[in-house]
Amino acid sequence: MAQILDIITTAAILYVVCAGLLIVFGVMKIINFAHGGFLTVGGYSALLVTKMGWHPWWGIPVSFAIGCVCGMVIERLVVRPLYARPLDAILATWGLGIIIGQLITLGFGREVQFVQSPVRGAIDFAGASYSQYRLILVGAAIVLGLALSAALNGTRLGLQTRAVIMNENLARGLGINSGLVRFITFTLGAGLASLAGALITPLSSVDPNLGVPWLVGAFMLVMVSGMSLVSLAIACLVLGGAQVLVSTYGNPVLGGLTIVVLAALLLRLRPQGFARE
Amino acid sequence: MTGNALQLNRVSSGYGEALVVRDVNLSVAAGEIFVLLGKNGMGKSTLLKTIMGFLPAGGSIKLFGDEITRAAPHRIARKAIAYAPQEQALFQDLSVEQNLRLALLDAGAFQSGLDRIGAYFPFIPQRLKQRAGTLSGGEQKMLLVARALMSRPRLMLIDEISEGLQPSVIEKLAGVFRAERAQTKTAILLVEQHVRFALAVADRYAVLKLGEIVERGDVGEQDAAAHIIDHLSV
Repeated sequence: MAQILDIITTAAILYVVCAGLLIVFGVMKIINFAHGGFLTVGGYSALLVTKMGWHPWWGIPVSFAIGCVCGMVIERLVVRPLYARPLDAILATWGLGIIIGQLITLGFGREVQFVQSPVRGAIDFAGASYSQYRLILVGAAIVLGLALSAALNGTRLGLQTRAVIMNENLARGLGINSGLVRFITFTLGAGLASLAGALITPLSSVDPNLGVPWLVGAFMLVMVSGMSLVSLAIACLVLGGAQVLVSTYGNPVLGGLTIVVLAALLLRLRPQGFARE
Repeated sequence: MTGNALQLNRVSSGYGEALVVRDVNLSVAAGEIFVLLGKNGMGKSTLLKTIMGFLPAGGSIKLFGDEITRAAPHRIARKAIAYAPQEQALFQDLSVEQNLRLALLDAGAFQSGLDRIGAYFPFIPQRLKQRAGTLSGGEQKMLLVARALMSRPRLMLIDEISEGLQPSVIEKLAGVFRAERAQTKTAILLVEQHVRFALAVADRYAVLKLGEIVERGDVGEQDAAAHIIDHLSV
């Protein structure tokens, strides 16, 4: 049972980490390599909150807000001028990720620090004693997925965002300000990445490279998800589950490679990955 | 007919170094249906894309007297102009209703818009939840026109709507354009290769050849059809 819970909670963590990246990729057609940097920003936001003596739960809204502000500034100053040059935009976000890491090093030092968890200990769940916090992350991933789906499917901005994803020029011809949609999307993506950073820090530690190990796996999961939140959930469950099994029964180092290798194989055999078409 | 809905003055445009449209002068009056004819590759669709701001233009483009030459497409579209492109014109994975809603700046105007287009295309209100990509080719073209009409435009740019349609659907669309013009004084700029349809629905015409207007006139003129066909023949 514990292993099943490991798979489910790992998938939930991956989903939370990837959601912002998926949204930015869907609308802007660029992989935001600053995503790892935003994860780190979220981790340090949570650290600041606990250092100020606030309850660790405050780390979630604070990290989201800080991530959104960073996203707004970066979209306006760095990404927007490169809309017509997607390759340059990708390189720019990669450089931004490095800059964010260096700025955090300047501000907080290189040492590993720890963030207090909002909840501690284990509870009995389905016959197994399991980390309360990891189970809460499953709920967080479900709420996040439902909220994003509701926003995309139930609001006018969501409909316009889907239109921009499907055919940006057609959307512009109907009066939709795709630049504004991109701005909001990048801001939301940065906010979600930062939120994810705050959520994962109680599971490990905080250091200036916090986001780096997550980036490649998140990138591959987004690639096999075909810009769909449902496909992303499936990808996280299948590939995240495989990672847990390989780490448990094989080698943790190989486990770390599982998502990348399986995603590459999947894309070779089925270019649309887990997407329907 | 009073005032110009659209005024092009020495408009040139193209793709990069390649100039496709050259020094085009053209006006469409309010309440007028104007048809632009020409063979494939003559610059007709490029001209519509240029008017909509998708391509950089030289010269001057005015919409109801306002200069829009360097405006962004979404700003032009918000000036009560509806554009129905020839290709990839619908969001195939969205429902009929979602396609219609995307044309509206005011979400509250959906029901009144639906009532209006339902009078022209009765199948649309009955199939709002159907995915647009699953409609037949003719139904997709009708949905495209319906979406253009949803926003009560003052000017419509319609690109080769008759292509691949059966005669009954073409006749229906001609009736819709005539009725809309009569009821709302909407100006319509049609790009066409279907000469009979064009002459049946339009007030004036122009023929575009290698990016330049080589012939223009009233459709009521004697031998208008002969002149046009002469230009369109290989």
